[in-house]
Amino acid sequence: MSAPGKRVERRTIDMQVIGEWVEPRTRVCDLGCGPGALLDYLAQQKHVSGVGVDRDIDQISACVRRGVTAYQGDMLGFLRSFPDGHFDRVICSRTVHELAEPAAVILEALRAGRSVTVGFVNHGFWKNRLYALLLGRKLRNAVYTTAWHESRPANNLTVADFEEFCASQGIRIARRVHLLGDWRSRCLFWPNLFAGYALYDLTR
Amino acid sequence: MTDDAPPPSPGTTPRHLAPGDVGLVQPHDFVHPQPFAFKNGQVLPGFTLRYETYGELNATRDNAVLICHALSGDHHCAGWHSPDDHKPGWWNNLIGPGKAVDTRRFYVISANVLGGCQGSTGPSSTNPATGRPYGISFPFVTILDMVRAQKLLLDHLGVSEVHAAIGGSMGGMTALLFAIEFPQLIRRVVAMATTARESAQAIAFNEVGRQAIMQDPAWHQGDYPRDGGPRVGLAIARMMAHITYVSDASMDRKFGRRKKESAAADSYTFDTQFEVEGYLRHQAQSFINRFDANSYLYITRALDQFDLAQAYGSVEKAVAPVQAETLCIGFTSDWLFPPEQNRRIALALLRAGKRASYAELATDLGHDSFLLESEELYGLVRGFLERESVAFDFAI
Repeated sequence: MSAPGKRVERRTIDMQVIGEWVEPRTRVCDLGCGPGALLDYLAQQKHVSGVGVDRDIDQISACVRRGVTAYQGDMLGFLRSFPDGHFDRVICSRTVHELAEPAAVILEALRAGRSVTVGFVNHGFWKNRLYALLLGRKLRNAVYTTAWHESRPANNLTVADFEEFCASQGIRIARRVHLLGDWRSRCLFWPNLFAGYALYDLTR
Repeated sequence: MTDDAPPPSPGTTPRHLAPGDVGLVQPHDFVHPQPFAFKNGQVLPGFTLRYETYGELNATRDNAVLICHALSGDHHCAGWHSPDDHKPGWWNNLIGPGKAVDTRRFYVISANVLGGCQGSTGPSSTNPATGRPYGISFPFVTILDMVRAQKLLLDHLGVSEVHAAIGGSMGGMTALLFAIEFPQLIRRVVAMATTARESAQAIAFNEVGRQAIMQDPAWHQGDYPRDGGPRVGLAIARMMAHITYVSDASMDRKFGRRKKESAAADSYTFDTQFEVEGYLRHQAQSFINRFDANSYLYITRALDQFDLAQAYGSVEKAVAPVQAETLCIGFTSDWLFPPEQNRRIALALLRAGKRASYAELATDLGHDSFLLESEELYGLVRGFLERESVAFDFAI
C-alpha cells in the first residue's frame, strides 16, 4: 500500500534495462521525455541529475509536477546548446522513429553526451511482417495504435536498419539488448525477425 | 502591466469575499533606519519599503513565497484594500487560498521596489536633508539594490528560507538575481516573460518613454511638486509602453478598427476616433494618477542596466552560486522579452549544472501574458511549488 495521496505508477520493462546502463549520480538527458516517468525512476533508483526534452507543454507540466526538470522545445536546438560530453548519457527511447532528422539527433546526442541509449520498436518483428504480407494494410496493433491518417509521420525502423546505420556512421555499439514480442524476455536469436523491442548503448 | 479591470458585477457576492480570494488586505511599512549604500556607491540615510503579506509564516519559517513586481506594478498583488476598490491586487488570479500560489500553505510577501512610488522610498520621497523630494538627486537604483533592500525586509520578517521567488518581466529579473545573490535563502525561482539581459529593443522603448518625460517642460530637471510634474510626457511614455505589453492579435481582437460612438464615419479630425485610441488615453490617465515620472526614469534605467552576462562575466558564471531550482516560462506572443530570451536563461542554468526547466505557453496576449488567467500557467506554478511524488510499482 502506498501513502494516501501518493501516486503509484508501473515501471515499464525498458526502464529497467535503460536504468541498468545508467551510472549512479550522473547527468542524464531524456529526449522525448513525455511526462517524466523514466527520469523520475532514474532519479529514485540512480540519483541522477536529469533533464527531459519535449515539445508538448502538457508533458513539461507533468514533469514539473513530479519534480523532474524539463525543457520545452526542439531536441536538436537543445543538444546544440551544450558543450561536448556535457551529459554522461543521452537517452532516446520510443521516440527515434518520430524524429524529423534522426541521424542528426543521434549524432548530436553522441557529441553532447558521452553515451547514448537508443530504444525502438523493431518494425521487422515477424508478426509485423506477417500482417503486411497477409493483410496488405498499414500495421495496427497494441504498439502501432493509429490509422495512417491520424498519426504523426513515422520512420519505422528495424534492428537491421539500425545496425547498418551505426556501422555507416562509425558509431560504436557498446551493448545491445533485444526483447521478444512480450518486451520482457531476452531475444537471443535472429533479432531482426524475433525482437519486438531493441535497446542500444552507443558511444563515439 | 496594463490597467485593465473587470467591470464590477452589482448585486452579487462582494468580490473580496469570493472563495479563493485573500479578501481585505493592508499594506505595511518596513523602515530600515540605517544608511543603505547603492551599487554605485551613493548612500541613502535609510529607506522604507511598503509591503503586503498574505497567509502565515510557519514555525520553521520556510514557507515564504516572494512575489516580485514589474516596472509599473507594486506591493499590492492580491486581495482588496477596500470593498469599493475597482480591482484587486495585480496577481489576484494567481494568489489566494486554493489558488496556484496557495495562501493556506504559503506566506506570500510582496514589496514595492526601492526607487518606486507606491510607498517605498524613491525619487518622490522627501529628502530629509532638504525637506524636498529627492527628484533626480535620488541614487541610481539597480535591480541589485532592489534585491538587497528586499533581503533586509525578509530578515525583518524572520524568514529563514524562501520557498519560491516568483516574478514576471522585471520581477523575473529580481527573482533570478535574488537566487544569485542570496543562494542559501532561495529554494525555487519562477521567472516569466523576462530576460538575463535587457535587449537593445527593450532599451530603445525605455528611452522613448524617458525622452517623452524629460522633453516635457513640466519635468523641470526632475524638480517638480508632488501634485504636478510632466503629466503629458508620462502619459505618452505609458501609451507607448502599453503597446509593447500587448500584441497585434490581442489589440485587433479587442478593438479592431471599431470607432467611438461619437466619431462620425468620415470625420477628418484628430480627435479620438478609434476605440484603441480612447483605450490608450484611458490607460495613460489612470497611470499618471498613480505613478511618479522620476520613478519611471529610474526604474526603466535599472532595467536597461540589467545584464547578467556583463555583470558576472557570463550568464553561466552569474548563476554559478544558485542553489534554487528554476522554472522559466516564455510566452509565444511576447515580443518585449521573447521566448528565446527566457529559454536562454534555462539553458544557461542547465549548462552551469543547475536544476532548471523551461516551459513555453502559446498565448496571443503579448508580454502581459504572464498575468493571464490560464489553467496551464496555474498548473505549472502550482506543480512547481507543491510537487507530487510518484512511487514505482516494481511488480511488472
